[in-house]
Amino acid sequence: MRRAIFLLMASWLLGTAATAGTIEMKVNGLVCGFCAQGIEKTLRKYPATDGVIVSLENRLVAIATKDGQDISDAELTKALTDAGYTVKAIERTDRSLAAIRESLQKK
Amino acid sequence: MFRMHGYAGASLALLAISTLPAADAKPIAFAAGTTVMGEYGAGTMNEAQVFYAPRYFFSVGAGHLSLQSDIDDRTRDITYARLNYLVKRWNLEAAQGNVFAWGGAGRGHVGDTGANVLTGNAGAQVDYETRWVYASLKADYFDSSAFSHRIDTLQVGLAPYAHEYDTLATWFVVQGRQYTGDIYDGVEWALLLRLFKGGKWVEAGATADGKLQAMFMVNF
Repeated sequence: MRRAIFLLMASWLLGTAATAGTIEMKVNGLVCGFCAQGIEKTLRKYPATDGVIVSLENRLVAIATKDGQDISDAELTKALTDAGYTVKAIERTDRSLAAIRESLQKK
Repeated sequence: MFRMHGYAGASLALLAISTLPAADAKPIAFAAGTTVMGEYGAGTMNEAQVFYAPRYFFSVGAGHLSLQSDIDDRTRDITYARLNYLVKRWNLEAAQGNVFAWGGAGRGHVGDTGANVLTGNAGAQVDYETRWVYASLKADYFDSSAFSHRIDTLQVGLAPYAHEYDTLATWFVVQGRQYTGDIYDGVEWALLLRLFKGGKWVEAGATADGKLQAMFMVNF
């Protein structure tokens, strides 16, 4: 019984770890705080969004998604295009927003 | 001291904008965003505006412009509704350029006669900005059966450091403004300090005549 519970918990943990993640996007046109404010406001509307970081210096928009949830590349591209910006690349990574923030502060 | 007559100032403005990267307060901040702006223009003009942008490429709203002639006692008070449209945007790696146009209508009150007249409004703005430098050229035209005024504004700004979203942005701005219709003789130059962080923006400085020039903007 204990083994069954352990296996159940392990599979649940592995499952959520696999689906929760960070989406990093390279975006053109990010030059001011208003740009960042608009993008953050747009992306926070998604129920799957757990957190957002915008770096003007690195042309980076990073989104952490909630466990088990995702936002498709097409949806993200459309959202940023509709916000007035140009998405150049989308990458799914294992870096947490905290790690991204830390690496940005080191630069 | 810095006054220039006729359209020499406008020519200078065009020359400056053609040789420098450029931007300024935009009539559309971001999609689903509201912009509130107010400006005290050295006693010559005061303006308040509120715009809402349903999409990133257009906004609708209203404004009130007061003009007080520096030459005689004429005054104009214009209350208008306006549609702003983003004609073209260039999203570059570390820069953005925009062309905006707008049009509207409202009521103009002629201070010296007391008349109220239907007043049309049209304008355009070209801007370009990086995190270090920006410039914009704006023309705002108001026309009625009783008056016709155009306000041309050039701004060139330099940032002493590149700001981030969560840090205070500082800009040193040179502004040249020219009015038609006997509001001001020559070009009104001003030096401004602009600060913004998040969605809030304030700028203040002085014209070459020593008068206060100030503005605020809030986006939410």
